[in-house]
Amino acid sequence: MKFTISWLKEHLETTATDEEIVAKLTALGLEVEEHSDTSKAFSDFVVGQVLEEGKHPNADKLKVCKVDIGKTKVDIVCGAPNVEKGMKVVYAPPGSTIPVNQMKLKAAKIRGVESSGMMCSEYELGISDNHEGIIRLKDDSKIGQSYSEIAGLDDVVIKIGITPNRQDCLGIFGIARDLAASGLGQLKVRQNNSQKGSIKSPINIETKDTDLCPVFAGRYFKGVKNVQSPDWLQQKLKAVGLRPISALVDITNFVMLDLNRPLHVYDADKIDGKIIVRESKKGESFNALDEKNYDLKEGMCTIADEKKVLGLGGIMGGESSGCNESTENVLLESALFNPINIAKSGRNLSILSDARYRFERGVDPQSVLIGIDRATELISEICGGEFSEVVIAGKIPEDDRSVDLSVERIQKRLGVSLDDKETISILNSLGIETKQKGEAISCKIPSWRQDILEEADLSEEIIRIKGYDHIPITSVRISEKVNPAILSKGQKLISKAKHFIAAQGYNELVTWSFSFSDDCQFFGDNSKLEIVNPISEDLDILRPSLLPNLIGAVKKNASRGFETFSIFEVGSQYKTSEPEDQMNIACGIKVGIRQKKDWQNEKSLFDVYDSKRDLFNLIDHLILQQKKLTIIDEAPDWYHPGRSATVMLNKTIKIGYFGEIHPRISKHYKIKERINAFELLLDDIPSIAKKTTNKPMLNLSDFQSVSRDFAFVLDQNIQGYELIDSAMKVDRNLIQDVEIFDLFEDPNLGENKKSMAIKVTMQAADRTLKEDEIQELSSKIIEVIEKSTSGSVRS
Amino acid sequence: MSKYKNIESLIEKKKSEVSDLDTLEKFRLNFLGKKGEISLLMKELSQLDADARKQQAEELNIIKDSVLKFVKDKTAELQNEAMQGQLTSESLDLSLPVNSQNGTIHPVTQVIEEVIAIFGDLDFFVAEGPEVETDYNNFTALNTSEHHPARQMHDTFYVNSSTDNMPNVLRTHTSPVQIRSMLKQKPPIRLIAPGKTFRRDDDQTHTPMFHQVEGLVIDNESNMSHLKGCLETFLKSFFETDSLKMRFRPSHFPFTEPSAEVDIGYKKKGNQLIIGEGDDWLEILGCGMVHPNVLKNVNINPDEYQGYAFGMGIERLAMLKYGISDLRTFFDNDLRWNKHYGFSSINIPSLIGDLS
Repeated sequence: MKFTISWLKEHLETTATDEEIVAKLTALGLEVEEHSDTSKAFSDFVVGQVLEEGKHPNADKLKVCKVDIGKTKVDIVCGAPNVEKGMKVVYAPPGSTIPVNQMKLKAAKIRGVESSGMMCSEYELGISDNHEGIIRLKDDSKIGQSYSEIAGLDDVVIKIGITPNRQDCLGIFGIARDLAASGLGQLKVRQNNSQKGSIKSPINIETKDTDLCPVFAGRYFKGVKNVQSPDWLQQKLKAVGLRPISALVDITNFVMLDLNRPLHVYDADKIDGKIIVRESKKGESFNALDEKNYDLKEGMCTIADEKKVLGLGGIMGGESSGCNESTENVLLESALFNPINIAKSGRNLSILSDARYRFERGVDPQSVLIGIDRATELISEICGGEFSEVVIAGKIPEDDRSVDLSVERIQKRLGVSLDDKETISILNSLGIETKQKGEAISCKIPSWRQDILEEADLSEEIIRIKGYDHIPITSVRISEKVNPAILSKGQKLISKAKHFIAAQGYNELVTWSFSFSDDCQFFGDNSKLEIVNPISEDLDILRPSLLPNLIGAVKKNASRGFETFSIFEVGSQYKTSEPEDQMNIACGIKVGIRQKKDWQNEKSLFDVYDSKRDLFNLIDHLILQQKKLTIIDEAPDWYHPGRSATVMLNKTIKIGYFGEIHPRISKHYKIKERINAFELLLDDIPSIAKKTTNKPMLNLSDFQSVSRDFAFVLDQNIQGYELIDSAMKVDRNLIQDVEIFDLFEDPNLGENKKSMAIKVTMQAADRTLKEDEIQELSSKIIEVIEKSTSGSVRS
Repeated sequence: MSKYKNIESLIEKKKSEVSDLDTLEKFRLNFLGKKGEISLLMKELSQLDADARKQQAEELNIIKDSVLKFVKDKTAELQNEAMQGQLTSESLDLSLPVNSQNGTIHPVTQVIEEVIAIFGDLDFFVAEGPEVETDYNNFTALNTSEHHPARQMHDTFYVNSSTDNMPNVLRTHTSPVQIRSMLKQKPPIRLIAPGKTFRRDDDQTHTPMFHQVEGLVIDNESNMSHLKGCLETFLKSFFETDSLKMRFRPSHFPFTEPSAEVDIGYKKKGNQLIIGEGDDWLEILGCGMVHPNVLKNVNINPDEYQGYAFGMGIERLAMLKYGISDLRTFFDNDLRWNKHYGFSSINIPSLIGDLS
């Protein structure tokens, strides 16, 4: 909401400075978003007159003008279609700043012709959207005079943000009322001038639905002249960013801005029969004043005549009955509409208007006739003619809201000490009438405060006027704890996982929770993840996996020249679009160069074993004790089937996957390098209650350990863990460790054969092993492995 | 005397031939080995009479001792030389670059952990809720009816719901966690809820996904004065300054009454924001006393219980504290940015150690 200090002071008697007013507005919750002294913004602009106007030698659409600016005469290249000799214009000299884009003007050659400054349009000055040509000032404007003076822009313009509850401040009078309540001045009492009509209105009004439109008041004006508005009115509107249109329209806008009372004017000669306020019917449509056609849905509040739709009540009028310069007879509307219906219809049709904005927040019901009276004064004064009695359909709703208030409870809520006297004085200053009612104070809420419904609302009013700065600061360091734990087990897991993965050299990313369906096609069932109104086409579903966005990040960074990627994210992925179908996942990927060739090392690439190691280390870090990790030879579709596995906890719980991402996905992303990934299903890690903080007993043998190496020729498909498992099983007491230390393939070994060698460490707890015991164990190991793998020991 | 003149001069002569440990060993054997010159002379002593033996033995022992000392000293000297030689030959060019691959923690994670450390110390537990929410939890239960104008300011993302006529939403704030928590737990309640939030907004200062932290305190007495105390304690800890200036301004949120927005004082020095100095104000969070209707919606009697709630943007906190100028860069996943603004993997924010 924009207004000027001078307009505000028409309602507020105050000696406060502009700075004090600005500070007080913010302290009242009417946050000042901008405040600018327009006289400064326009200080460089002066009135000029076009003396000569000729063709530009090098450009058809440009003209070269000689302009008298008082002190001197300048040459200006101008592209405006309306420039002509003798015209008075707004001149912006080199060095001045154009308000709309904050560009600083420089003298420059334009297509070879020197141009010193420019002539401005209203758009360039930021005072309207009109950029069809430059401003034509009145012929009697004085050359060299400051533009802000003649335009009445030598004022301070304030823009405040109004929260949805403060509909009462959508008019300048309301803002003055709030400032006066806070002690910044005296509200100038408005005398409402209610005039009797002299003719009878030929247009009857019928409201069919008093829920949609409780009251509709109309007044007929006969023989008006819809002239240009007088300067004072035009300047007021321009100063707050509205473009003057014609007197009738400008008057309705003025009353809306001044008194927060939306009005509408119909060209009465374009109304067929009577006005009917009713629900819209299916299939109806109308051309609105914003020059768009709207198809109405059932149940919208429609203003119609006997033949057609005239407009959407409280939102926007129609073109068919709009006023223009030839309008002679007018129907003025001042009505009340149902806020919910207005909000629904407005959203449904995506129409924004100042009327909708006010009606959906709630308009003061008592303003219906005040609006008619004020507009009548102005129309008579500016447009002349005669007017009728006010025709009212429906009735102004009774509003006798009253709220009981206890000062004690208010103090308890605010933590501020207050007495009855101060409380009552604040309430009265806001127009709230108070009455003692036993212990409580009964408060009658004024009609313009549609937002105050209960005591809590009054507590805000009281502290708002008293000042939030008066709330003392009380420490919340407490002696008695109410929470046994700050973080849950799951939250601790997430935090530990993030730090551990980062400690293994990964960079943490936070990617969108949305993803592109086309990228996600490889990652399971996405049918229930659609976003109804996505921000863009390529972020159209909830992510079924953290992988698509991480892989996308690889792609993006590869194009920035990165060749090595260790990136991870810990976050949620979704199974469906239900709240309970969200899972926490830790996902890391490694792509590209593990070790680049340097003076010390040969180049190497990340492979799937990097991901395996990182995942296993992570699990070791997260689950300390009592676990057994195994892998099974399966993994989701998005992994390379021959290079991926699922990690099982204690053989029964699937807790993660690792592997190389399926080549068809790399191909989809156009990534040449192999993508190695792990995913840890954090929510599936069982929370095993710690029975003891003790670590398991450590039994160390002081007797010598020995190790023996064995190499086997095996079928290609025999996996390493089978050797380790078989060897371990030979004697769980004596065999301490089995390690694979060599692996190779060679045609000499036979077709589809490989050689794998293990180192077995043996140690007894109570003695040094004798040679014959070692021999016996060795033979057994060979026997068991040969049997379980159908391989043979290499001699 | 003259009897040992020869051997003494022989020793002197042989000494000069010692050049390394090998020749030194030869030298030692030459004189002190079983058949060494001195050893042989020692054996000869037994054939002498007692007096002569005593006298010659004395002389011979002096010679032997001097040889032993020479061997010991020379050994040390030669070993030292050998070590010096090894050291010289082994020296490396340590200016050669080494590899380091440090992982990083994202600023959002860092700031959330800082916030948890501070509020954890004030006995706030960390609550959670899902990112896909019901319309009811996100709006209605928070006193925001279907046609409340505040809903339009939210620009909500909708997703289909299989169970309800109303579509589900991507939560537009972390406030629905208030509802879920209050339905689960009776007062006293003291919680924060950090997490992802979503609004259909994408421009210079908005991203469609961002993070918030919610705070909620419900008990018999917590009021606006406690709210001020709580936020002041938090902001001072977070910005690591004792000279914080804080300003409460009236505002409006459907789920709090009275509502306030909180500004902190700052000044700009070059490109840097200095929190705690200067006369300019920066909006940092929204808060207020929980609206009685919200308490009613979760079956808590507003005549018995009251309390406050607050919500703030994690990225905004991060930007102000760490001088990150562009919100959108948080989710650009430009590794240059992540490496620059990221935090050490092993730094876990704590009030006992370091917050940042």
